[in-house]
Amino acid sequence: MSVLVFVEDPSDELSQQALTFARGLGEDVHGLAIDDRDGYAPAAWGQALAAATRERSPSMLLAPGTDRGNEVLAHVAAELDLPMVANCTSVAPGDPLTVVRVRWGGSLLEEARLHGSPALLTVAAHAVAADPAGTGLGVETLEPAVEAVVRVSERLPAETAGVSLADADVVVSGGRGVGSAEGFAVIEELAALLGGAVGCSRAVTSAGWRPHTDQVGQTGTKVSPSLYIACGISGATQHMAGCKGAKKLLAINPDREASIFASADYAVIGDLHQVVPAISAEIRKVKGG
Amino acid sequence: MNILVCVKRVPLTGGKIVLTDDQRAISTKHLGFTISPHEECGCEEAVRLIEQHGGSSTVLTLGPPEAEEQLRDMMAIGIDQAVHLVTDGEEWDPQATAGAIVEAIGAQAAPYDLILFGNESADAGNYQVAIRVAHKLGLRVVTGVKGISVHNGSLRLEEEVPGGRDVYEVPMPAVVTVKEGINLPRYPSVPGRLRAKRKPLEALSPVRSEPKLEMVRLVLPPGSGKQAEVLGDGPDAAPAVVGVLSELGLV
Amino acid sequence: MALAAALAVSGTLFITRASLLIGLVRAGAPTPRSGDVPRRVLGEVEIVFGQRKLLQRLGPGLMHAFIFWGFLVLVPTILIAMIGIVDKHATLPWLGHQGWYALLVDIFCALVLAGVVAAFWIRKVQRPRRFEGSHLGEADLILGLIATIVISLLLWHATRITLHLNEWPASWSPVSNALSHLFADNQTTRVLERVFVWIHVLTILTFLAYLPRSKHLHIFVAAFNVWFGRTRARGRLEPLKFDDPDVPEEDLRFGAGAAKDLTWKQVLDTFSCTECGRCQDVCPAFATGKILSPKLVIMGLRDLVLAQDQDKPLVPDAVPADMVWDCVTCGACVQACPVSIEHVDHIVDLRRHLVMVDASFPPEAEPMLRDVERASNPWGKAQSERADWAAGLGVRVLEPGDPAPEYLYWVGCAGSFDERARRTTEATATLLQSAGVDFAILGPRESCTGDPARRIGNEYVFHAFAEQNVETLGDAGITKVVTGCPHCFNTLANEYPDFGGRYDVIHHSELLSQLVREGRINPKRADTTQITYHDSCYLARHNNVLEGPRELVSAVGTPVEMRRSRKQTFCCGAGGAHMWMEERAKPINEERVREAAATGAGTLAVACPFCTVMLDDGVQSAGAELRVADVATLLSEAIDGGD
Repeated sequence: MSVLVFVEDPSDELSQQALTFARGLGEDVHGLAIDDRDGYAPAAWGQALAAATRERSPSMLLAPGTDRGNEVLAHVAAELDLPMVANCTSVAPGDPLTVVRVRWGGSLLEEARLHGSPALLTVAAHAVAADPAGTGLGVETLEPAVEAVVRVSERLPAETAGVSLADADVVVSGGRGVGSAEGFAVIEELAALLGGAVGCSRAVTSAGWRPHTDQVGQTGTKVSPSLYIACGISGATQHMAGCKGAKKLLAINPDREASIFASADYAVIGDLHQVVPAISAEIRKVKGG
Repeated sequence: MNILVCVKRVPLTGGKIVLTDDQRAISTKHLGFTISPHEECGCEEAVRLIEQHGGSSTVLTLGPPEAEEQLRDMMAIGIDQAVHLVTDGEEWDPQATAGAIVEAIGAQAAPYDLILFGNESADAGNYQVAIRVAHKLGLRVVTGVKGISVHNGSLRLEEEVPGGRDVYEVPMPAVVTVKEGINLPRYPSVPGRLRAKRKPLEALSPVRSEPKLEMVRLVLPPGSGKQAEVLGDGPDAAPAVVGVLSELGLV
Repeated sequence: MALAAALAVSGTLFITRASLLIGLVRAGAPTPRSGDVPRRVLGEVEIVFGQRKLLQRLGPGLMHAFIFWGFLVLVPTILIAMIGIVDKHATLPWLGHQGWYALLVDIFCALVLAGVVAAFWIRKVQRPRRFEGSHLGEADLILGLIATIVISLLLWHATRITLHLNEWPASWSPVSNALSHLFADNQTTRVLERVFVWIHVLTILTFLAYLPRSKHLHIFVAAFNVWFGRTRARGRLEPLKFDDPDVPEEDLRFGAGAAKDLTWKQVLDTFSCTECGRCQDVCPAFATGKILSPKLVIMGLRDLVLAQDQDKPLVPDAVPADMVWDCVTCGACVQACPVSIEHVDHIVDLRRHLVMVDASFPPEAEPMLRDVERASNPWGKAQSERADWAAGLGVRVLEPGDPAPEYLYWVGCAGSFDERARRTTEATATLLQSAGVDFAILGPRESCTGDPARRIGNEYVFHAFAEQNVETLGDAGITKVVTGCPHCFNTLANEYPDFGGRYDVIHHSELLSQLVREGRINPKRADTTQITYHDSCYLARHNNVLEGPRELVSAVGTPVEMRRSRKQTFCCGAGGAHMWMEERAKPINEERVREAAATGAGTLAVACPFCTVMLDDGVQSAGAELRVADVATLLSEAIDGGD
């Protein structure tokens, strides 16, 4: 039996992870991409994959757990009237298949049984590390279904200048503790010194201090920087869902009992309004001296 | 325009998640409830579109009797009526949910021009109910939308992607899933809340089909409960922090 | 006759205007202000006759008292003068013949003149800031008319003495007698006698017609406004009715949006304002550069009411939105007002309409409003974590069905979730345990009292909290409550009775000071520790709790008072839901911290979790050398000797 893997872009890290995940299942792995010269068209792409699945009868069809991966696979599932599991972290073969998948943006895991064949599932981001070895295998490109009614008609360039939050290597993030829009000046200063991006919690966007594009969280941007500095953020699960991809997390909070400390690598107990400028000053000293 | 918005009642989990003894649900003792943020924005979008273009809006949920609270909350911001698919609180898998929604839509008097969903629900995050509903109804579907405008019976939809925004032009009727950030949901007025108490709510009792995606149990992820290294108290911790930054190669 | 004509004209002008004003008051929305008659009588005696509130400032107070008491004494002279116009030999039966009355009149004429001179001196020389925004020209005119009335009366008496028209000896009227030497007993004086009495009466009649068209209206209205003032606790706000089956929804009152929504007492308030500006002087928002002046709020509302435009929006047409949001509901204005205007009620009613009908409020408050409703506390933390602080201390958490403790310790949201306030909670719980007090907490079942929602104007959400908490407390059989938060204290003690919840509520500082007096807690006093105590507005002004915290301070160190203390305390800036709102201009908390630092004390003692947070923030941002600590924390440290 074989495993088909839908890859958006073979060189993309999450696609690589999906391929690695598939290879870990010990069956033949075939990568499938869709020709995108006419732009992205989710239903048409789904139809193409559904057709391939019908023809080739794999045991599983996988995709990376990205927006597009989840979307395209959902289309396949709807086409084939099969169950689909989004964002799996592991799979145990059997009949029915048992999976562990992500809930609440990563704050909770679910063990589930999938009653359907072939199994359709997407792979949670960073469930496995991408294994570059063995990527030599070719990825086959399929043609999308002919009548692509829903397709991207236009691409508008991003408006924001500076480091994009999703790609930033350092994110300095402020929560309720910042207290006002002006209070973010110290956050912006530190982010600039570290060449990073500014993030915020949901309370901040709700208060109107920062735009939603700065929001890190389950319903905001999910970030995976080398370092996430959380200032005045208590650590609500929906926020942590957005920053758990960070390699290291430094939390600055005056409350010793704040739940964010349970997810932090480093802690500073204090008020960000004193601590953050002190850090910036120290950085300047170190850089200048 | 005739708009339907589908929402789901979810608990507000706070700083940590606690499971029930049988590990099949989150313990909701002392927790408040809300609807997923994406869906709240969906309801606000529906109200705005009706304000701009005229017509009527409906909010629908599949959930326990207590979910009526969420329906009334959304009617308080301006949605005209509600449909409650009442369950006993057990979870329904995505296929069963989509099936029940499609059946309820079929039972409505007038067809919908636009059916809105949140991109994914806050709790289960299955990312598929909207797409399944669209397929069953033979409708086009676009997901992850952060901007909607209506021109001559057609929708112009914008989705945020790395590097910018993708634009879709889709004629109505259509299914759209939206993401938080598409708008800022309004705060309900008290006259709105009082009116919402009297707005029409249709309750139906769908029958749950056997789950194809069957939850066995819930598990807290490993590695929570880290022991953070305390670098210091207050601004005096700055040198230690910069030490860490240097180690990480950021300074 | 000329006098009859003058009376008719003046009377008509007065009555038409008075009818208009009375009509405007009667058109106001209903509000219950009857009952409690003994307290109302006491109010009239103390505030109106005794001028107690005016005398809070001795100089201007005496100035006004002279003029006011003088006016009371001189009322009969109006009739005497009118009678004297008709027949120069006639006067009021009995009173007009009394020498002692003539003496009183003379003395009070002199006092009134002294008052007028003092008033002019204050306004023209001293020029206090409280008059900024007031109509000074109008005040000058009124003072001029008063002076004219009194001077013309004295001169008329003087000429009568010269002409021997009085039957009592001239020595009974020393002032008039002195003035009488200016005149000779001749034809000129006979003419002048007529001239002075006519000037006197015509000035009075002009004044009568002018009165209801000016702020001097207060001489009639103030006594009524004081009578109908609040008699119940100052901190209590009046609830609204949302589900009155007799009232159609369009007519439900959601606070004050337009002039037609104002209650009759609120309309009366606006007519009572004398533009004295004492409220403005004590307003912490005004003192820190914000545009809010309680005086200007009332004047703005008055002007819109008099313009008789029933539908114009009060905000922004009468009162700019910023003024409405700047208020911290500290009540200093109400405390200072000599005519019992209730500014805080006005502002909260304006907020109610803005929040509940327009859904318009400072955007930074939105997370609090949503969180308090969904998560049952304004910080949006999980209620399941509310009693985490109690875990290690062995504090009893009351479960449904448990026997009721003697005291329910109502911790409050700040005390449960804010790390600085939590220290107070832990100290209080430990102290109560060590003193053997039987108490328990509700833990996760304790939800917000609803105070922040109520103060920001969301009365609807507050009602939901009140009903829910009253039910919880009732089910648990609670009769006595001790709480560390003055806002919770105020709501539980003064506002929950409107929802059927009646409890004996004691503030933790009072209970702890009682335990110290009883010897159940024995602190060691450190003489060298100088402590200045900051009165919380909701404790001191709204609820008269002044001594308990002071006893604790004296028990652990040496107290030193700030100038603005007790009922004159200066707010920390967190009231009126400002804990969750941004502040314009200069920060109120820093202003207070500077005052505290100026006492030279090293410790700033507080008795409120909001004051704890605000003043500690203020210490840090102002860079002061002060340690902010709750009296409970100080007490617990004084027991284990600083541990």
